[in-house]
Amino acid sequence: MKYEHCIRCTICVENCPVFRVNPEFPGPKQAGPDAQRFRSDREKADDEWVLLCSQCKRCEMACPCGVEPAEIILKAQQRYGLEHSHTPAHLLFANNYYLSALGSLTVPIANMIASAEIGKKAFRAMGISTYIPFPKFRFRTMRKEKKILNKRTRKVAFFYGCFINFYRPDIGRKIIRLLSALNVDVVLPPQWCCGLPALGNGNLALAKYFAQKNASSLSNYIDAGYDIVYTCTSCGLCLLHDYPGILEIPQGKKIAENCYDVHEYIIKLIHEEYAKPVFKETRRRIAYHIPCHLRALNIGYPAAKLMSLIPGLECEILDDTCCGLSGSYGFKKSNESTAIQLGNRAVSLIRKTKANDIVADCGSCRMQLGGLSGLPALDPAEILCESLGITDQK
Amino acid sequence: MSVIEYDVVIIGAGVAGLTAGALLADRGFKVALVTTGEPTACLSTGCVDVCSRDHKPLSGINDLPPEHPYHLVPEKITRDALNNFQTAMMDMGIPYAGTAEENRFILSALGTLKTSCLVPLTMKTAPQDDKDSIHIVTFKGLKDFYPGYIISRRKNTKFSVYDAGVYSTMGIASHFEEKEFFEKFIIWLGKLNIDEDKIAFPAVIGMESAAEIVNTIAILMGKPVFEIPTIPPSMPGRRLFNALKGYFRKKGGMIYWSWPVEGTEKAGRLIEAVATHSAGRPNSINARAFILATGSFVGGGLTATREAIIENVFNLPVHTDGPRETWFDNDYFSLNHGIGRAGIIADLSLRPVDSPWENIFVCGGILANTEILKNGCGHGLALATAHVAAQSCAEYLSNEI
Amino acid sequence: MIKTDVIIIGGGATGCGIARDLALRGIPHCLIEKGDFAAGATGACHGLLHSGSRYAVTDPIAARECYEENLILRRIGRKCVEQTGGLFVRLPGDSKRFRELFLRSCEEVGIPTEVISSTRAIELVPNLNPEIEDAIKVPDCSIDPFRLCLLNIRTSQLRGGIIFTRHKVTEIIKSHGRCTGIKAVDQATGEVREIHANIIVNATGAWANMIASLAGSEVPMTLVKGSLVITNHRLTNMVINRLRQPSDGDIIVPNEAVCLAGTTALAIDNPDQLLTESSEVDTIISEAGKMIPHFNNTRIIRAFSGVRPLLKSKKADSHEISRGFQIINHENGMYSIAGGKLTTFRLMAEKMVDTIMASFNLKKSCETAEIPLDGQEELSGYPLSKRLADMKNIVCECELVTRQEVERIIRQTGTRNVGDIQHRTRLGMGPCQGGFCTFRALGIMNDMSVISPQQSMEMLRGFLQRRYRGIRPALWGDQLREEQLVEYIYLGILAMEKPE
Repeated sequence: MKYEHCIRCTICVENCPVFRVNPEFPGPKQAGPDAQRFRSDREKADDEWVLLCSQCKRCEMACPCGVEPAEIILKAQQRYGLEHSHTPAHLLFANNYYLSALGSLTVPIANMIASAEIGKKAFRAMGISTYIPFPKFRFRTMRKEKKILNKRTRKVAFFYGCFINFYRPDIGRKIIRLLSALNVDVVLPPQWCCGLPALGNGNLALAKYFAQKNASSLSNYIDAGYDIVYTCTSCGLCLLHDYPGILEIPQGKKIAENCYDVHEYIIKLIHEEYAKPVFKETRRRIAYHIPCHLRALNIGYPAAKLMSLIPGLECEILDDTCCGLSGSYGFKKSNESTAIQLGNRAVSLIRKTKANDIVADCGSCRMQLGGLSGLPALDPAEILCESLGITDQK
Repeated sequence: MSVIEYDVVIIGAGVAGLTAGALLADRGFKVALVTTGEPTACLSTGCVDVCSRDHKPLSGINDLPPEHPYHLVPEKITRDALNNFQTAMMDMGIPYAGTAEENRFILSALGTLKTSCLVPLTMKTAPQDDKDSIHIVTFKGLKDFYPGYIISRRKNTKFSVYDAGVYSTMGIASHFEEKEFFEKFIIWLGKLNIDEDKIAFPAVIGMESAAEIVNTIAILMGKPVFEIPTIPPSMPGRRLFNALKGYFRKKGGMIYWSWPVEGTEKAGRLIEAVATHSAGRPNSINARAFILATGSFVGGGLTATREAIIENVFNLPVHTDGPRETWFDNDYFSLNHGIGRAGIIADLSLRPVDSPWENIFVCGGILANTEILKNGCGHGLALATAHVAAQSCAEYLSNEI
Repeated sequence: MIKTDVIIIGGGATGCGIARDLALRGIPHCLIEKGDFAAGATGACHGLLHSGSRYAVTDPIAARECYEENLILRRIGRKCVEQTGGLFVRLPGDSKRFRELFLRSCEEVGIPTEVISSTRAIELVPNLNPEIEDAIKVPDCSIDPFRLCLLNIRTSQLRGGIIFTRHKVTEIIKSHGRCTGIKAVDQATGEVREIHANIIVNATGAWANMIASLAGSEVPMTLVKGSLVITNHRLTNMVINRLRQPSDGDIIVPNEAVCLAGTTALAIDNPDQLLTESSEVDTIISEAGKMIPHFNNTRIIRAFSGVRPLLKSKKADSHEISRGFQIINHENGMYSIAGGKLTTFRLMAEKMVDTIMASFNLKKSCETAEIPLDGQEELSGYPLSKRLADMKNIVCECELVTRQEVERIIRQTGTRNVGDIQHRTRLGMGPCQGGFCTFRALGIMNDMSVISPQQSMEMLRGFLQRRYRGIRPALWGDQLREEQLVEYIYLGILAMEKPE
């Protein structure tokens, strides 16, 4: 009953990006602790506006009283999803994993349709927004990659996530080679969508389904002495926060204890003096946009720490704004205006830094900021690899 | 479990914590700041109250009761702290007006004159008496601001309303940062026929660019323009917090959000690390010294159970006037509530007295006997004690090496 | 000078019920209340509409009356009575024999009961103490007592009843030994109103003796203070009672978005000087905590005391004094109606008006049990969750009160008092206890130009002072933190001046 602690200070409201631009959303205080006093397990949910919350978790990071409004709202979203029919957009994004698998199998055609005007019209008819281009599917997904096993003392099971798998396996390959260059064995455990798209689209049952399969698979690797490493900060938050939390996965705590963000892991290796990477000079002026979910992981900004070791790299950290896309949130027509306004604000702050490139750990952020600004948007791992001379080609 | 090491960990992201942190980081120490959430400063008017009991704040400080923590700060350091603050805020783009020599007024949302010392530049031209006639420009649907209050107290006040399309303080402030919105607004404003001496706005006209925006409007309209702070969500409070946060980072400090301290590691008379619960894996930060700047009850530094008042991080002994019955007077407006005196008593080095720990320093609202509302000394005290705590901490760390 | 047939002194449930009944029977009347409605015991009670089972063992007649009224009120107040149901829970150590006695007594009175297992009880109310032995389900209900008074008064207003709130009766005018009227002072302006009538009804509850003495009569009463605490949110959706002889702290009632728990019993002399002691608060929390363990750690947002107006009795333990009521004919044109409880207010009113009709020699019979309460169409009703459908334009975010509602009340009642808005909309009754919304409500009143600058500041100060009385006994933990924030806002950010 954490909502008891709310003293109505409105600090959460000050931080909510959606509230700032969308008058339909009453804000985390009203949607969370205020509304919770009126909700009842025995009565039907009547609060459709809860779906407007993008689950960026900024309210939770800011709350001085430990109320966790985003969690209250997440539960309300699931209730609503259970009791009301889902829109086509919700259904599509909840099942993104399957659809992307199909997309990557039928690559040139799928990409053509998605980018053609007829495809965009179809999307808009389904309530999907097309203000930034859809990411392109790749045929050679991570599933087709080989593991690197040289019987070294440190070994990781790499949880790459859907974005890397279906759209940017090249980054995934770089990460594998990066870890290998640091003397770490890398395997690719059987894995499915982390479950967050399903959770974010009101489908708790599907999210639990994916989560249980992942948990069983990863659990075996943990038992066999592997550390689990993730690269997408949203996958990470789902694994660490939602698996033991709302998804009630029995191995959830074990998973949470053994999962690391890839940069967090590399710092650990350096600190334990297991790896001593020598970063070469890399002349770039970058704006590092901190994804909301990275902030929510409570691990600080490890990629920033690593990039600060790269000579010649000018890096400005921006962690005050949400990019607005929030996974599949901004791709829904009902949230399009919110996503565009927030994205434009984030881009204007980036432009003020005069950076040439945008860096963000989250694929969603990269799509949004890159798409709206026209600037290149890179994963921090790409910068690290560049500095260490690692490519994704053999 | 990875171990993260710093020279000093600041607990609390308020005015006191961020200031102490910036000072130490500037001196080359490795500084981390951990906080449960955002501080009370976000809710404030953004003004620095030094001591509102006398027109000259520094004299007012001298007249405070002997147990007041201001007496732990030499006057020169209080002056330095205020100067330092003004320089830092100028650097961060939100300049402050005022001087430590005398207090000034700002206009409150109730139409009263609030005494303060250093005020954001956007409030500099607020009336200092009831003579100026004011034209208030407010925004449609803004439910946290009512010009009626001010009009009912100041005869010579009129108001106009602009529809900004959004109805919250943050929404409007964000819009003011957009070029097209601002241009449209300026055109509308220019057409208003304003006879009054000054123009006032609820404090929502911009975020980081508020001072510029106020200046632009003042030049355009040929009249002084000032902001009136609103009840939370407060934009001037947020601007202050963003600036202090940015300044701390600029000096090289690292902030860990949503990091409530849930345990400590100790050895002998030293605290070695603070720990928090974080997503399964225990998470701790080691340091050689710690600065406790967790604030009072609103900030979360102190908690009152039915039996006692507790300091939440290190369980330091808390000074209280007496049991629960003595915490509050019968008169709401007494300003003498016992609870205002609860807190940690510190010595001249701003270490807590009667505590076994060598390497903890305390500053800001968590100190005992502050009576912030009665004395009008919130942010001013935070700045002053932060300077002393940082100094003591720096000396301690240098000796330790 | 106003002339009418009946003057009712007292705007509690009884007074309002009498006004409604007189209105439906076509008798011109005038009601005078020194504060706002429900200013006495009515506004300081649990808001519990008994099933009657609570009295079945000790007072079967009262129990029967309660049960019948319970059925009637559920019928006529479909939208304002929340049919929560209730449980009498038996904790380890509570007598099984008492349970049998309880069940038998309820059966004799005709109150439907159902014995349920602890598992089922916990399913119904998840926060119950997992150690409970078993429970008995009864048809308890809950209601907002202010709302009850207002709905009754609505009938009176619709049929020409004259209502004066915030008017204090200072004199009962007599002529040849008969009461012919009253003088009352408008508390806001000081203006004196004189009203003449054939009959005066003294329905002032704890003040009955004081008022009666203005006419040279007396109503011997025992005044017993009872305190209640209010929680931040609903810890239970059903009324929870302790299955044992009535004692302190053994009722928890869900009411709107909060719970009320209590009560205590302490004899007092002066109904105008009530102080809620911290020992009472501690007792209530401790007893409630035995039934719902979370009570021991939950946030209490307010604690207040009311006075039970009990007819004087020789019994020492005031829990045992009959809750029955009495109509006293002072043989001088004035009647006093005293005693009773919230649940039987309508019956009390009916009996009183029957007496009045007889004295006027009129035959029209009572219809208050048949006709639904007026004004219910404006209520949002239950369940609470349907109020979440529209979250726009909300002034009190804790209790979901919209700007339109506030403006409507200001226009409809012409009120100059923010407390009146509070009673009619629940503005400021939530966790922040009006911290933010009072500023907004008064701001709206300022905007609508219904108050002067002087009034605005005084009202705000007066409101904060009154509000504080109810919060002070609950100030620890989260509520203390809340209160420090509210104080910071009014005295710090808004720079309210200290009163001279």
